[in-house]
Amino acid sequence: MFRKILVANRGEIALRVLSACKELDIRTVAVYSEADRHALHVRFADEAICIGPPRSSDSYLNIPQVISAAEVANVDAIHPGYGFLSENANFAEVCEASHITFIGPSPEMIRMMGEKDRARVEMGAAGLPIIPGSDGAVPDEDAAKRVAAEIGLPVMIKAVDGGGGRGMRMVRTKRELIPAFQTARAEAQQAFGSPNVYMEKLIEHPRHIEFQVLGDKHGNVIHLGERECSLQRRHQKVLEESPSPVLDPGTRQRIGKQVVEALAKVGYSNAGTVEFLRDASGHLYFIEMNARIQVEHPVTEMVTQVDLVKAQIRIAAGEKLESAVGKFDFRGHAIECRINAEDPETFVPSPGRITAFRVPGGPGIRIDTFLHADAIVPPYYDSLVAKLIAHGRDRSEAIARMHGALDGFIVEGIKTTIPLHKRILAEPDFVAGKFDTHFLDRLTAKGKA
Amino acid sequence: MAKKSKIKAGGNSNVGGVDLAEVERLLAFMEKHGLEEFEYAGGGVQIRLKKPGVAAVAAPRVVLSAEPAYQATHAAPSSASHSRAPEPAVGADLHVIKSPIVGTYYGSPSPGADPFVTAGSKVEAGQVLCIIEAMKLMNEIESDVAGELVQIYAENGKPVEYGEPLFAIRASGKK
Repeated sequence: MFRKILVANRGEIALRVLSACKELDIRTVAVYSEADRHALHVRFADEAICIGPPRSSDSYLNIPQVISAAEVANVDAIHPGYGFLSENANFAEVCEASHITFIGPSPEMIRMMGEKDRARVEMGAAGLPIIPGSDGAVPDEDAAKRVAAEIGLPVMIKAVDGGGGRGMRMVRTKRELIPAFQTARAEAQQAFGSPNVYMEKLIEHPRHIEFQVLGDKHGNVIHLGERECSLQRRHQKVLEESPSPVLDPGTRQRIGKQVVEALAKVGYSNAGTVEFLRDASGHLYFIEMNARIQVEHPVTEMVTQVDLVKAQIRIAAGEKLESAVGKFDFRGHAIECRINAEDPETFVPSPGRITAFRVPGGPGIRIDTFLHADAIVPPYYDSLVAKLIAHGRDRSEAIARMHGALDGFIVEGIKTTIPLHKRILAEPDFVAGKFDTHFLDRLTAKGKA
Repeated sequence: MAKKSKIKAGGNSNVGGVDLAEVERLLAFMEKHGLEEFEYAGGGVQIRLKKPGVAAVAAPRVVLSAEPAYQATHAAPSSASHSRAPEPAVGADLHVIKSPIVGTYYGSPSPGADPFVTAGSKVEAGQVLCIIEAMKLMNEIESDVAGELVQIYAENGKPVEYGEPLFAIRASGKK
C-alpha cells in the first residue's frame, strides 16, 4: 500500500481524497495556488506545497510544478481528482516516468476515451450500442437516402468540420431529406469552407444515463449501477440520482453486462463512467466514457455503500476487485444537488467570503464541501462549492430528505444555486420522473421575465 | 525528507558522561553531510541528535478561528519534508527574490564548489544566484536587480516551494 499520496487538486474533491487516504492510514500532501493558501485541503493535509500563482494554468495544471512537488515530498502516488490533470494522458505518463503511481486508468485508456471518435469506434467494436450514423461524410444525395433509410428517421445532418449549431439540420420526414441535405451542405461550405456533412440518428427526448465502473489491474471489471444525469443546464450537470427512475431492471442488467464485457475486452482499469443517451423508446446509445472519478460519485456510494475513492487507491496499489471493493448491493435511492457559487437565476458567478454557514444533517444526508464560516471562494476556479446528497429507502423519501436539507443549508456572503434546486424539487414533472436533457433549460428559461 | 544515518562507534567514548567535544564533532559531521537526524551508540553511550524543524507530525490541529480566514496566519501543519522559513521582516529598501518554481535549492553550481553568492556579495541584474533542481533539471535563478546581497533565506539541499523567499537584495537603484 502507498505510504504517501499527493492530491493534485483543490476544493471539495481534494478533501474527499484526503479523507480516503486518512482512512487507509496514508500520509497526504496537498498542493495549492496562492489563492488557496488558507483553503481547507491545505490545512487538513499532512504536508502542503505552494505550486504557483492563482491561475490554474500556472498552478494546478502546471505539470512540472506538480511533479516537482511530488518529488520533493517523496510521494508514492498522485491522485488527480476530477477535472485539471485527471484525463491528461501526458501527465499520467510523466508520473510513470517519474516512478510515481498515477491513481487512475492507464495513459492508453485515458487517450482512447479522450478521443471521442476513437472511443465510439472502439466501444462499438467491443459490443456497446452506439448512435447509428454514417461514419464519415455522406458524399451525395443517393448516399443520403440510403443512409437515412439504414439509420431510420428522424436524423440529424451535421457539418463534418462544424460546430456551434451551424451546418446542422433536423430531418423528420422523407420529404425534408434532400432539401435539408442540400441546405446543410451549402451552409457548411459557407461557414467552414467544406460542404462535407455526416448523418446521425436524432435522439428525441434524450435522457442521460451513465454506468459507474471499476476495474483492477488483473483484468476484472464490475459496474456499480447507473446514475441518471438528465438535469443539465448548457450541458453542465446540475442534479444527479441513482437509480434512474426510468430504467427497467432488464435493460439495466443487459447494458451493465455489455459495459463490463466491453471494458474487460479493452483492458480498462481503475474508476470510470460509461455515458449513454436513452431515446424515447428506451434504447440506450453509448456517447462517451469518462476515464476518471466523477463529481457525482457520491450518489453511487450512498446506494452501494462502496467507497469509490478508497477503491481507486487500493486498485492502483495492485489489489484485486474482491478486496478493493468487496461485496455490495443496491439499497434505496440517492439524489445529489450540485451547489454552485452563482446567482440562482442569472447564473453569474458569485465568489467572495462566507459570512454565515450552517450545514444540514440527519438521516441520509451527506455534504461534500470545502466551505466553512469565513471561507473565501476565489474567483479563479470552477463555481462548484458544495455537493448535497440525500439518500432514502425510495425516491420519494430521498426527495423529501433533500427538501429538508436544502431548507436547512445556510450559506450567506455569496449567492448559491440552492434556490434553483428547491425549484427543481418542487416541479411535478421532476417528482414524477418525467424529464429529459432539455428539462432544466426549459425550466430556467421559464423563470426569466 | 529526513536523511537518517546510524553509526556504531568503537570503544573510545567516556564511560557514563557525555563528551561535549564529541557532540561538537558529531554536529559538525551532521552539517557536513546534510543530515537532519543522527543516532550514535557505542561503549554504553547512546546519543541522538535531531535538528529543529523536523518535528514529529502530530495530528494537525486545525483551528477555524473567529478571525477571518484570510487574515489568520497560515496554520501550516508541520512538514517533515519541508520547513518553510517564516516570512522575513524586510526593510523598505530590500528586494526579496522568491522562488518561481518548486524544487530543491542549491547554493553552488556543484557539490563542494564555491557558492554563487554570499551575504555581502555585489550582484548584477541577470546574475545567477542559485540553482533550483526540478524534475532532474537544473534551473538557474537570476537576480532581477543589481545591488548588495544582504541575506540568503534558503538552505542548501532543502526543498523550496513557489513564492518562497530566497534572497534579500539591497537594490542599488539601477535595474
